[in-house]
Amino acid sequence: MKKARILVQGIVQGVGFRPNVYRIAKALGINGYVRNLGNVVEIVVEGNEKDIMTFSNDLKLKKPPISKIDSVKIEWLDEDSSPEFNGFQILESSSNFSGSSVIPPDVATCDRCMEEVMLAGDRRYLYPFTACTDCGPRFTVINAIPYDRDRTSMEEFPLCPDCLDEYQDPEDRRYHAEATCCPVCGPEVFLYREDRIESENPIKEAAQLLDEGNVLAIKGIGGTHLVASTTDDLPVIKLRERLGRMNQPFACMSPDVSTIYSFAEVADYEEKALLSRNRPIVVLKKNVDYYLSPQVAPDLHNLGVMLPYSALHHLLFTYTDAPAYIMTSANMPGEPMLTQNQDIINKLDGVADYYLLHNREIVNRCDDSVVRFRGGDMAFIRRSRGYVPEPYDFSNINTDLNVLALGPEIDVTFSLLKEGKCYVSQHIGDTTKYETFLYLQRAIDHMMGITRAQNIDVVVCDLHPQFFTTKLAHELGEKFNCPVLKVQHHHAHAAALSLDWELDEFICIAADGVGYGADGSAWGGEIIHYHGAEYDRVASLMPQEMPGGDLTTRYPARMMMGMLHPLYSTEEIVDLMKTHYLDYFPHRLKEIEIIATQLEKNFNLTKTTSTGRVLDALAACLKICGERTYEGECAMKLESTAYQGEDTLEIPLKITRKEGMNVLNTSQLISSVLKKKMDGMPLEDLACSAQKAVSRGLAELAIKVASKKGVDTIGGSGGVFYNEAISMTIKEVVEDAGYNFIQHKNSCAGDGSVSLGQAMVAALKCGKQS
Amino acid sequence: MKIGMSHGAGGEIMQGLISDIILDNIKNKTVNGGVGLADLDDGATIPLGENEIVISTDSHTIDPLFFPGGDIGRISMAGTVNDVSVMGARPLAIANAMVISEGFDVDELERIIKSMDEVCQETGVAIVTGDTKVMENDKLDKMIISTTGIGIAPKGAITRDSGLEVGDKIILTGSVGDHGISLMSYREGFGFETDLKSDVAPVWGMVEAALDIGGVHAMKDPTRGGIANALNELASKSGVGMFLDDEKIPVKREVHAASEMLGIDPYEVANEGKVVMGVAPEKADEILEAIRKNKYGGEAQIIGEVTTDKHVILETSLGGKRILEAPIADPVPRVC
Ligand SMILES: [Fe+3]
Ligand SMILES: [Mg+2]
Ligand SMILES: [Zn+2]
Ligand SMILES: [Zn+2]
Repeated sequence: MKKARILVQGIVQGVGFRPNVYRIAKALGINGYVRNLGNVVEIVVEGNEKDIMTFSNDLKLKKPPISKIDSVKIEWLDEDSSPEFNGFQILESSSNFSGSSVIPPDVATCDRCMEEVMLAGDRRYLYPFTACTDCGPRFTVINAIPYDRDRTSMEEFPLCPDCLDEYQDPEDRRYHAEATCCPVCGPEVFLYREDRIESENPIKEAAQLLDEGNVLAIKGIGGTHLVASTTDDLPVIKLRERLGRMNQPFACMSPDVSTIYSFAEVADYEEKALLSRNRPIVVLKKNVDYYLSPQVAPDLHNLGVMLPYSALHHLLFTYTDAPAYIMTSANMPGEPMLTQNQDIINKLDGVADYYLLHNREIVNRCDDSVVRFRGGDMAFIRRSRGYVPEPYDFSNINTDLNVLALGPEIDVTFSLLKEGKCYVSQHIGDTTKYETFLYLQRAIDHMMGITRAQNIDVVVCDLHPQFFTTKLAHELGEKFNCPVLKVQHHHAHAAALSLDWELDEFICIAADGVGYGADGSAWGGEIIHYHGAEYDRVASLMPQEMPGGDLTTRYPARMMMGMLHPLYSTEEIVDLMKTHYLDYFPHRLKEIEIIATQLEKNFNLTKTTSTGRVLDALAACLKICGERTYEGECAMKLESTAYQGEDTLEIPLKITRKEGMNVLNTSQLISSVLKKKMDGMPLEDLACSAQKAVSRGLAELAIKVASKKGVDTIGGSGGVFYNEAISMTIKEVVEDAGYNFIQHKNSCAGDGSVSLGQAMVAALKCGKQS
Repeated sequence: MKIGMSHGAGGEIMQGLISDIILDNIKNKTVNGGVGLADLDDGATIPLGENEIVISTDSHTIDPLFFPGGDIGRISMAGTVNDVSVMGARPLAIANAMVISEGFDVDELERIIKSMDEVCQETGVAIVTGDTKVMENDKLDKMIISTTGIGIAPKGAITRDSGLEVGDKIILTGSVGDHGISLMSYREGFGFETDLKSDVAPVWGMVEAALDIGGVHAMKDPTRGGIANALNELASKSGVGMFLDDEKIPVKREVHAASEMLGIDPYEVANEGKVVMGVAPEKADEILEAIRKNKYGGEAQIIGEVTTDKHVILETSLGGKRILEAPIADPVPRVC
């Protein structure tokens, strides 16, 4: 008889891991016990050596679906001790554990639960909060750890006798399913207008109201959606007008994949992502039969779609024939999504006609995740619900520091590195909005709580002196009495990408809207030689003037004027703008003249190498977009126009030396596009060719550097790499030249992973404590 | 390190220079326990008997010397009178030092002096002493005027920047950005100055009206760095925050249009004839009414109130709430 102590680490709490261990032990006739010690599950077993080895292998082979095993360590105990155990037991969680606990993300309602929900006569028939150990909310309901029901928002719903039986039976799939409940004991939904509307079936009524053209606010798992019908223009326009969001694409939810096939193209990898239990929004191309309202995603060739991820959503679709509903986060622009019933009713007054609410508290707001494929490569546009707080593994980096990285400013997540695991937060958003800035601070506190991080050794922020996160970093540095490290934006982008591929060195094309450069100018079209803790900026797009600074981001024709300025006389530019682009300037001719004077007199100009601004200017130049009303609008519309065209027009590239670096002459590029436009070339082909030219230019800059430095891998990071055509062109050019090309696959190409990169640079730089 | 233009721009960089290089190297910074150099208030005070003497000083360079709505003479008098006024003291006298470059036109000098006198008469202030120097014209561009103002207040009646109390109402005496935008426009040739002129004016009349009613806890004249700077300074020195209603802050249509075209925030632009003050809530309406009766105060508004929060928050009708920051010298793009 042998005895062993087995420690299992990973996502092993709140996922049905212990009952699974119990079942494996029972099957092998092994005695002993299992219990939670925080992030570690401790198993002590006795039996013959062979059975114990089988047992230990089965732990990995037969693990529950949403668990994740990082390590299994066996330690053999005293040989001659007599049998101690009688059967196999699941012991209570030990409360005096140490170390961090990895809490699983929220999981879409599983098939077995949905079968019950749809089965007439089942005690959970039509019950919207049905969940089990394999599915349901986790992160969004957790107040504190260890993950037990009384530390979640389910605490308010004591289990009824039936549910309690299941909860206490190790053979039941709801054994210690902390979010389990039923119509007798669990939360309930109700419908509101100004007051509560008594209804037999609020979900059914909600579907009817939607189909009649109403806008509903529906409180779900990690937040609230504004929901509207998609087959008719009117409800969509109504929602747009009420939100003042006239162009921004809305995400949709569709009942099943076959329905999605009816209006969108779905590649097999996209289908897999749609069906994954993380249930992200997947950006899909509209197909030739696309029949939803064009208002859903105006002027774009694609749209975001997700499948139902809670029983409540599934039920909604059982009461309608609608192929999809708009499901967009219910928030005021830039502010956090609403989660409290009273807030939803008060703040959405005038936006929603009805409210479908429930009485379970959302502890942690968690926006829907969004992914997009470029070729077969997935990148997160937003990594949030369904993924957070699953950590990134930093065990390759030798550090025992606790690092808190605050990200950039607009598309913020923060990251907390502790014991070699980097927890990237849910989507926080635009921290220039005060409410969001406060939310950031609360979310940090909460993340430190559920990871049991008592102290921070390094706080990391962006180089930008004005970011609110920079200011917060200094406050937190004082609070934790620790140093504040500033990491350059594109260095952080490159670091996040290096993590996806476990690379120490590569050439990174960092192409995005803006990141504060080491020289104080606005970077965004950079070739970075990344080598871990350090980086060199080795090439870039040509620095261009932004007349009026951030104003050029909103009005891209200003950028166009700035970019033409090195090649044309002021009179020529004014004349061109007056004749062809007058409607792109809110103050018309007066504004054009003012901008010309600004350029002449060097008044309130700032320099940028941003790729985003070049794409914006091209969109303006081709009369695709004259005002940006949401992030990335001009570049996205350029991409959609280009998608209709072909790469038939030759746009010559000019690379020159400037201050010891190669720079791509973007003035010459846009002027050549402009000339071809004036010659009457088709806009779609021009958009396509112009986009390809920018891509080739960036690729060539990178290849030159890679060959000189003897580096064999080139990567792409930054929001520009969400653009499929640009990503694919760069990949092609880079691979044709004989280099590897890497893209994000488990992180965001955009700013959502900047905090992750910042944490990584800090870990590499600051290394081991003591 | 060399001095850059940003070291004089009134933002955080200038604050750094003042505290590291100036304050750290001066030992005697206060007299009789009055407000001293280190307080970085609008002026200093010397308590004497039943009264407090208030002193404030300013150097004036401006390009161009004559601009729509005023000239360097008017601005150098008004600027100093205003700094004394917002300490809560009645301005009494001015000392005036001028450094003039060789070749300067005497007729222009006369115009400038007359302009100074006009402000002094309006406020009941005398120019009691002065100094005049001339420099080679390759060493000085036109002229520099340094003015020192003396004022008086009953002991203990001084309004400090740090005097805000939670619940106070914030009064702004008129539209913002007029001076900065019109001057900028005139200098660079943008042409907005045809509809717009500098607001340069002495504010003592408005301040006096408010002080007569009582309940004024703190004041500032929002010059360099605009109201964004002044409000943040008041809040941080008082250890409080503010909640402001964006719609209540008067901005002239032309200023608004110009700022939209130039990419310049009117809240960060200099004013030369405005005051922001924190007043006891129960006195706010009465004070507002009194200020509105003054010839410079017709557009005065209550723009918000003092909170326990440590930030100055601006609520906008469409964009929600944002933190109004103190400007740094040169903004760097941040919208991605
Ligand atoms: Fe970025
Ligand atoms: Mg003051
Ligand atoms: Zn389930
Ligand atoms: Zn129950």
